[in-house]
Amino acid sequence: MTNEKEFIAQLLNPKTQNAAFQILLSEYQKPLYSHIRNIVLNHDDTDDVLQNTFVKVFQYLKNFKGESKLFSWMYRIATNEALTFLSQKAKLNGLTSEALQNKTIENLKADTYFDGDEIQIKLQKAIVTLPEKQKLVFKMKYFEELKYEEISEILGTSVGALKASYHHAVKKIEIYVTSN
Amino acid sequence: MKAFKLENEPKIKPGFKTPDHYFDDFSAKVLQQINDKEVKVIPIYKRKKVVAMLAAAVVIIALMIPIVNNYNNSKELDEATLETYLSYESNLNQYDLIRELDTRDIEAINKNVALEEETLEDILSSNPNIESLISE
Repeated sequence: MTNEKEFIAQLLNPKTQNAAFQILLSEYQKPLYSHIRNIVLNHDDTDDVLQNTFVKVFQYLKNFKGESKLFSWMYRIATNEALTFLSQKAKLNGLTSEALQNKTIENLKADTYFDGDEIQIKLQKAIVTLPEKQKLVFKMKYFEELKYEEISEILGTSVGALKASYHHAVKKIEIYVTSN
Repeated sequence: MKAFKLENEPKIKPGFKTPDHYFDDFSAKVLQQINDKEVKVIPIYKRKKVVAMLAAAVVIIALMIPIVNNYNNSKELDEATLETYLSYESNLNQYDLIRELDTRDIEAINKNVALEEETLEDILSSNPNIESLISE
């Protein structure tokens, strides 16, 4: 996106809004899809959460003050939507968040939209054992290959703390995979 | 068993796929949802809550009308009662009132009298029926 300020102005102007929003959609739908999918794991849920995310982005655009980048703002909305979705789904099924994620991973094997093998499943199972923040940091760094600076803007955590979190996450995952 | 080291392994992909052409019509789906939400805006007069609140407000205002009126009435009544009380119930008489007058009040009264005399003379002199008035 060339000039973000200009683009945000186009998003807020009723005349150019629709065209600008189309651009926003086509630019961000794939990265945000991956981001959400890594959190909620199955395709149908990701589809719901991604739609909600863009609807919220559209609704809250007028409140977007430009203190942060559009990119990190949208990732933040997507992250919140995904985490809220997971906790609601867990509550609805009377499960803890961890139990729900374990169940989802078991179902991944039969999922037509998952082509991972043993090691992928094992890695996902290892990730479930991590604390919430480490989970997010690991997924964003390892799978989505975001920069620490970008993750820092999205999660509002310092780069130093993120590096420590990632390091801990990798250690725990290695121990888990080795012993299982 | 060999210790598993993430950095020694080839990069593990998440392994997630999307249905074919999923992203082709995704934006249309989102725009549809946004439009649906905008259409669903309910006019204010159709909201039961707002209607109920308006009805309640009208009832409260209606109930307050007699109270407000009474409040004003009682104030006027009070003044009337006070006057009546002073003139009929108290022991104040003409002399008591005169004693309360200071020099300025007296001057004011004199002036009034002088003015009244002038006016009276004017009226009398300009009145063409003065003769008949006098004769009566």
